[in-house]
Amino acid sequence: MESPNYPDGPPDSATHNESQDRLTQRSAAEWVTFTVAALILLGLVGLIFFDWQTNQNRPPAFAVAVSEAVRVTDGRYYVPFAITNTGGRIARMVQVTAELDIAGVDEETGEQQIDFLSGHETKAGSFVFTHDPQVGDLVVRVASYRLP
Amino acid sequence: MDEATDQTRPNVWLREFQAILQGAVGGFLFGIPSLYTVEVWSIGEATTPRWLLLVLTVTLVGVGLLTQVEGFRQTLSLHPLEAFLETIEAVAIGTVCATLALVLLCRITLDTPLSEALGKVVFETVPFSLGVALARSTLQGNRGRDRRTTAPISRRLSSFSRVNLRDALVDFDAALIGAVLIAFSIAPTEEVPLLASSLPPLWLLLILAASLGLSYAIVFASGFADRAERRQRGLLFSPITETLVAYLVALLASVVMLVLFQQLNPSDPWSEWLSDVLVLGLPASIGGAAGRILI
Repeated sequence: MESPNYPDGPPDSATHNESQDRLTQRSAAEWVTFTVAALILLGLVGLIFFDWQTNQNRPPAFAVAVSEAVRVTDGRYYVPFAITNTGGRIARMVQVTAELDIAGVDEETGEQQIDFLSGHETKAGSFVFTHDPQVGDLVVRVASYRLP
Repeated sequence: MDEATDQTRPNVWLREFQAILQGAVGGFLFGIPSLYTVEVWSIGEATTPRWLLLVLTVTLVGVGLLTQVEGFRQTLSLHPLEAFLETIEAVAIGTVCATLALVLLCRITLDTPLSEALGKVVFETVPFSLGVALARSTLQGNRGRDRRTTAPISRRLSSFSRVNLRDALVDFDAALIGAVLIAFSIAPTEEVPLLASSLPPLWLLLILAASLGLSYAIVFASGFADRAERRQRGLLFSPITETLVAYLVALLASVVMLVLFQQLNPSDPWSEWLSDVLVLGLPASIGGAAGRILI
């Protein structure tokens, strides 16, 4: 079967012979494709091995950073936080809880579930309170997670 | 010799570029459904490197088998070594296309951790590479109907097993391709175990019967397919046998896909295996029937 488009007219005899000899000869262009393709795949496999070596032996661990920049809108206090998986393996269903303890007021709690948190990944969100968290004692921690 | 090379050079490079472009387009046609399936990304994110290597190996084997009879180049007769090289190329084109598509949809950004990005790329590479390997026949309609022949590696291997393998591939690659095309973006979803677990007892028999009936109806009763032409192409089974074997192919494809997506693992009870596989077997067999008509 011939290629559909030949800008230089129909294939000459040289092309024809070449396609007859294909068992032994690929064109230079095909070798270039193969070389690039092999490099891409080797690179992919190499990256997978690299990831295996660096990350998979380290179980998930979490660092939660609570921002000082509390935003107040309509009498509610928005406390941004960022959680980072400092381990190597992925964690699922990471449960982040926040407890705000102010003397003389009922304790306020917030919960946040993060579906996936890969190694070295950071995800951010906010807790919303009705009392000023800077007055009381705010504790943000990771309560639980699942392995995939 | 030099003269000839000079004359053919522009053609050779242009033709190669065209072949790669066709492969890429075929990859996108095949890969889009699973690109838009959330579960494929999330399963990819959570998969261990060891499993990713397994998925990549299975992809290479699958594309390798397809390359025996299909391919993204126009070549119709192929040395086994060339088929091997073309397999590598097809998977690499699939990888590049899958990566570009994931970047385009912001599923991979500069902030994505390496392991997540790798998982997504590897799982999306599967349908993209299959699409690349099918580019010639999907993009060229009737002209692409001709199947490839591969020259035997040696006299010894040219004997029975190899010829039989090729015949079986020619007969059932279309069913397999259709099944994978439809079921690959269904296999990772939660709907499969959800449906499977809510079926009343013995309902599976109804699903099995429906799968066989629909598959039979699509190919033979609808009058879509030209029997004479199909017979010419080597499909010499009787309709009932062909339907049964195609259904088994669809079920086998379902098992492989469910296992690759880690929907099923050896610790699951066998009844879950059975019901999940039969539930996924329904769309897979419909896809297989459509594949046998269209490809």
